[in-house]
Amino acid sequence: MVGLINAEAPESIDDYKNVMVFLESRDGKIKRPGLEMISVGSRMAHKVNEILIGVVFGDNVGQLLKEAGEYGCDKVIGYESPDLKDFRTIPYATLLSDLISEFKPNILLIPATRNGRDLASRIAVRSRTGVTADCTELDVDPDGRILQARRPTYGESTLAEILCRKHRPQMATARPGIFEVPERKSDVRYETDLRKPKIKKEYLKKEVVGFKPKTTVDLTSAKYIVSGGLGLGKAKGFDLIKELADEIEAYVGASRPTVDLGWITRDHQVGQTGQSVRPQLYMACGISGKAQHLMGMKLSQNIVSINIDPDAEINGISDYIIIGDLYEVIPKIIEEIRKRKNSVSKDSKPKKDENEVKEGEVKT
Amino acid sequence: MIEMALEIIVMIKQVPDSSEVVIDPVTFTLNRGAARNVINPADENAVEQALRIKDKNPDTHITVITMGPPFAETALLDSMARGVDRAILVTDRAFAGADTYPTGLTLAATITKMGKFDIIYAGEESTDSSTGHVGPGVAEFLGNEQASYTSNSWVEDGFVFAERQLEDGVETVKMEPPCLITVLTNANIPREATLRMKIDSIKKGIETWTLADIGLKPEWVGLKGSPTIVKSMRTINEKKREGKKFGVDEMDKFVDELISKGILNLGDE
Ligand SMILES: Cc1cc2nc3c(=O)[nH]c(=O)nc-3n(C[C@H](O)[C@H](O)[C@H](O)COP(=O)(O)OP(=O)(O)OC[C@H]3O[C@@H](n4cnc5c(N)ncnc54)[C@H](O)[C@@H]3O)c2cc1C
Ligand SMILES: Nc1ncnc2c1ncn2[C@@H]1O[C@H](COP(=O)(O)O)[C@@H](O)[C@H]1O
Repeated sequence: MVGLINAEAPESIDDYKNVMVFLESRDGKIKRPGLEMISVGSRMAHKVNEILIGVVFGDNVGQLLKEAGEYGCDKVIGYESPDLKDFRTIPYATLLSDLISEFKPNILLIPATRNGRDLASRIAVRSRTGVTADCTELDVDPDGRILQARRPTYGESTLAEILCRKHRPQMATARPGIFEVPERKSDVRYETDLRKPKIKKEYLKKEVVGFKPKTTVDLTSAKYIVSGGLGLGKAKGFDLIKELADEIEAYVGASRPTVDLGWITRDHQVGQTGQSVRPQLYMACGISGKAQHLMGMKLSQNIVSINIDPDAEINGISDYIIIGDLYEVIPKIIEEIRKRKNSVSKDSKPKKDENEVKEGEVKT
Repeated sequence: MIEMALEIIVMIKQVPDSSEVVIDPVTFTLNRGAARNVINPADENAVEQALRIKDKNPDTHITVITMGPPFAETALLDSMARGVDRAILVTDRAFAGADTYPTGLTLAATITKMGKFDIIYAGEESTDSSTGHVGPGVAEFLGNEQASYTSNSWVEDGFVFAERQLEDGVETVKMEPPCLITVLTNANIPREATLRMKIDSIKKGIETWTLADIGLKPEWVGLKGSPTIVKSMRTINEKKREGKKFGVDEMDKFVDELISKGILNLGDE
């Protein structure tokens, strides 16, 4: 809604300070990609002695304010209205760009989720600035507080560093699953600013008339994935995959033929015609590693192959190779993990237990 | 269903075939000479989506537009051979080096000059710049509603409906025209052009517009109008994988290795 206007740079860019992050949420919870913005955003803000300002929108933002603060925002601004329940481009873009005019952030980060990118494109035009999409590395140069936004290009073969020297805020969207989720602390100080805006009718013309949640969580932001292929030999083989996955809190992946055979639903498929994943750990069990499968998982940080065939293609891109029958190997891995978990809970008392005790006390 | 005569614009871009791209190590620009040029894959799906609306509403009129070098006309002709009615190439030396801001501005100015429309279609993103910013950017310049990342869209009772594929579910939105919609690569299977239509499209020809036709200042477009610059580029070395072997009887060592290297943390979150 700017009209045909060129990207005029602001007169005084020194007025722009601090890092602002937009924290996407659903059903009163900040989504993981938003939490990831907090870790990278606060690192940059604190590096140049600035603060991190989190922004949350929703029909009820009480919990969101608390979450954002406890995960590490120095200040959290919440916009609360029934009209903000669903993500809608125009009201969201309008309120966020109003905040930009008010707070003049030097850097604005938005998760590179679909809604995040939808929003970022419009904010950039409205604020007459540049935006670097889908960054995997973000840093700030203390000299001039210039955002160094790096992103893969040309089919992930090169990493480009993109700068926006004269325009503010310097905007980037950050790829989900790259930056870590910060630790949540309940004993931190943060400032909150709850606002209840009246949203003009004309901004609410687009209606969300339906939403069908996906039955399984998306694999793209998974930390661990245990994947099964035709080597499982039968549909029930996925029970073993799930058992291992549950043990390490991993998601279940699959090769395409297992999906085509109906052993598992399509939303688990990894590869060219499935999802592209980059977990910290990808365990390929009975998967040969054909090009179409590799395309969707070769960027995983660590790859384990469990295969009876020493010459399986997947071994060529694996960090760890276990040659053997998965029906023999996986139960052993599960057993070893259970052993270690038991000894952990005996030796050092993990935080989880303390929480359970507290809950018990409240009940009685 | 009420049939409607709709005015649809599809924004398409010609891109180097991604399997053949070469990057100039000095200027960090694409060496387009080396690669074959094709229509950006998602834009083919956008054209197909527009054609499907026309299949249902035959009085619909579809125009494809592109901002690009003169040889981008092949992408336009190809779209016409599939059933698009009109094609405009917006080309000018001044447009070279544009990032997403001036690209969106140039396309929005072109659309403003064209006049009234009901729906603008764009691809979800282009394979050479892969930002997905240009489509929504155009909607912002024009002040229109938008629905991005859609797998299907249709017109009913004068409203435009679209299904957006989000990470956690599928959202259906309802908008009033005029609006902009971006289309996913897996939304549909684009139809083939027929030889007859190929001949017809060459006969019909395309229109060529320049900077002067769309009324923008030279310093607003191309490299000069771009807020961002590419500072440097380095190749990403694919991670070297050691391929460390563990025997079936060494699963204790294997699990220890994963834990000691911090690859697997038990009992977090
Ligand atoms: C256009 C196109 C798109 C495609 N898209 C995808 C895609 O998105 N994703 C995808 O995965 N595929 C895709 N494919 C299919 C792909 O080419 C391969 O056919 C597929 O990935 C092979 O699956 P697989 O590894 O499970 O099966 P196989 O190739 O049959 O491999 C099975 C493996 O299991 C091993 N094995 C057998 N028994 C055991 C055992 N007891 N213990 C341990 N190991 C055992 C075998 O040694 C073998 O390596 C696509 C194909 C085409 C043409
Ligand atoms: N030069 C251009 N001419 C016409 N359409 C374009 C151009 N650049 C981008 N687009 C459209 O915008 C979409 C997103 O492109 P991008 O923002 O580059 O990822 C593309 O799929 C096209 O529909």
